[in-house]
Amino acid sequence: MEETRIVNATWDVSTFKYRIEGQGLTRMLSGMRDAKLIGIKCSKCGTVYLPGSFYCRKCHIEIDEAIEVGDHGEVMTYTVGYADVRGNPLEEPRVSPMVKFDGCDAWVMGALEGVKPEDVHVGMRVKVAWAEERTGSLQDMQYFIPE
Amino acid sequence: MRNVGIIGIGYTPVFVSKRKDVNIAEMISEAVEDCFANTGLGPDDIDAMVFGNMHTFEGVNMPHLWAADYIASLGKPVMRIATGGTTGMSAIHAAYYHIASGLHDVVMVVCFEKQSEGDSQVGLMGIVTPEIMAMLQAGIDISGSSGMGALAGGSAGAISFQASSYLARSGAGIEHIDGMAALERRNAAKNPYAHLKDANATAESVARTALISYPIRFGHICPTSDGATVAILASEEKAAELADGAAWIHGLANCASDASAGNILEGVITDPAEQMPCQLAAKQAFERAGIKDPKKEIDCVEIYNGFAHQTLMFLEKLGMCEVGEAHKLLDAGELEINGRCPVNASGGVVSTNAIGTSAMNRVTECALQILGQAGEHQVEKDVHKALSHGWGGLMQYVTITVLADKPRKG
Ligand SMILES: [Zn+2]
Repeated sequence: MEETRIVNATWDVSTFKYRIEGQGLTRMLSGMRDAKLIGIKCSKCGTVYLPGSFYCRKCHIEIDEAIEVGDHGEVMTYTVGYADVRGNPLEEPRVSPMVKFDGCDAWVMGALEGVKPEDVHVGMRVKVAWAEERTGSLQDMQYFIPE
Repeated sequence: MRNVGIIGIGYTPVFVSKRKDVNIAEMISEAVEDCFANTGLGPDDIDAMVFGNMHTFEGVNMPHLWAADYIASLGKPVMRIATGGTTGMSAIHAAYYHIASGLHDVVMVVCFEKQSEGDSQVGLMGIVTPEIMAMLQAGIDISGSSGMGALAGGSAGAISFQASSYLARSGAGIEHIDGMAALERRNAAKNPYAHLKDANATAESVARTALISYPIRFGHICPTSDGATVAILASEEKAAELADGAAWIHGLANCASDASAGNILEGVITDPAEQMPCQLAAKQAFERAGIKDPKKEIDCVEIYNGFAHQTLMFLEKLGMCEVGEAHKLLDAGELEINGRCPVNASGGVVSTNAIGTSAMNRVTECALQILGQAGEHQVEKDVHKALSHGWGGLMQYVTITVLADKPRKG
């Protein structure tokens, strides 16, 4: 059997100069410094996006109503990973849920700690474990833990 | 609109991991030659060409022009299609538009992928590069261990959320994914153009393969394949002149929704297992084909399933059974090649995945079933109408084609 090919290379991401509509992300990140999740609500259909878009993709209108959503929520789906991004086995399996926060329509990915893979289930209640020192980064929300 | 039929099909002699004996253009030409040999037609019979493969997978940006003389397209109109996983069926649709509109009479569709010469994961990365760049700047942890948006990694990681959601909401279990994968590996063993074959596969043998990302096991996942597929489509008038038979396109549709995976930047709002575009496109294609009850009127189905749970999930989304019923049909043996609702008699995408061809092969395999030319993997029942499905994009784009054994009336 042929061995897997490995190509070593570097990727200079600074060469990409995409202009990205990220104001909703910026707004959410500044809220996370205060351990708050700030989304954006559509005034027409009521959908709450997190991080917010400034455009409702359902209604095709501009939206800009900042709204705080709960940092507790429900596991909508989940996976358990057994290898890292390079394919090396993990010491402990890693649980990654998609969580729908209370008062929010988005499903947010993250890591789930403090529960065995076999005990995780869809519908399970979880909450955010915030970092003690927060810097306005996605790392401020460290992971989810059972409610 | 004019009737359009598929009058000829050609494949590379094999679909395998690495075709080191030919280059990309040579490999494509094998399928072109096979199609000409099967139909007795030649380059002079073809009015226009449609060409398809995944953008960026081989890093060749204009393969349709690079391979021009190998696909006999010199001096002809050529259009390249690249809609992601659905590329091959979008190419068939483009040929349909060419002919149904009256612009051309005979159109050849050429699709390929030679994954061994490229890097598919780098190609897939290109789908979300701007978002990933923004997320990296915002502190996303690409190793997936902490932080909001922690990634589950690659195509299998993203798809595991879909599979997990499907299981939780359908009542099916991981053993049904095992059983579905085994059924398709056994079907693949009957198909000379399939890649991963196992005549003795069982749910138990699949269950012994490693969990990659719950609930997806190694045995549930498609291979990366090298291969090419060619089809010739013609108007009703030309089909009568050039061919003994045809598989007729009665209805087609495609549909997209908002990105359901990776679109963290603007909030992921869609259940990856909801697949609303599939429900909408199927409804529209059935309406166009005059089909009122697909459960009764469709004789066999080819589903785009990079991962084995998708066969069950999409059967439900297509309306071929009720929600939560697909795994019961599997248990009852109805999805087998001799069953009441044979699915992926070819072995499906989970057994063979030269991506540019994968959605096209769903159509060509339905055509072979209608023409009675599928050989050892011909389904037992008579096939008058067949349903083919393509899936891909950002996990949210679906194409549908309904084929029949007679031209559409009215
Ligand atoms: Zn709205």
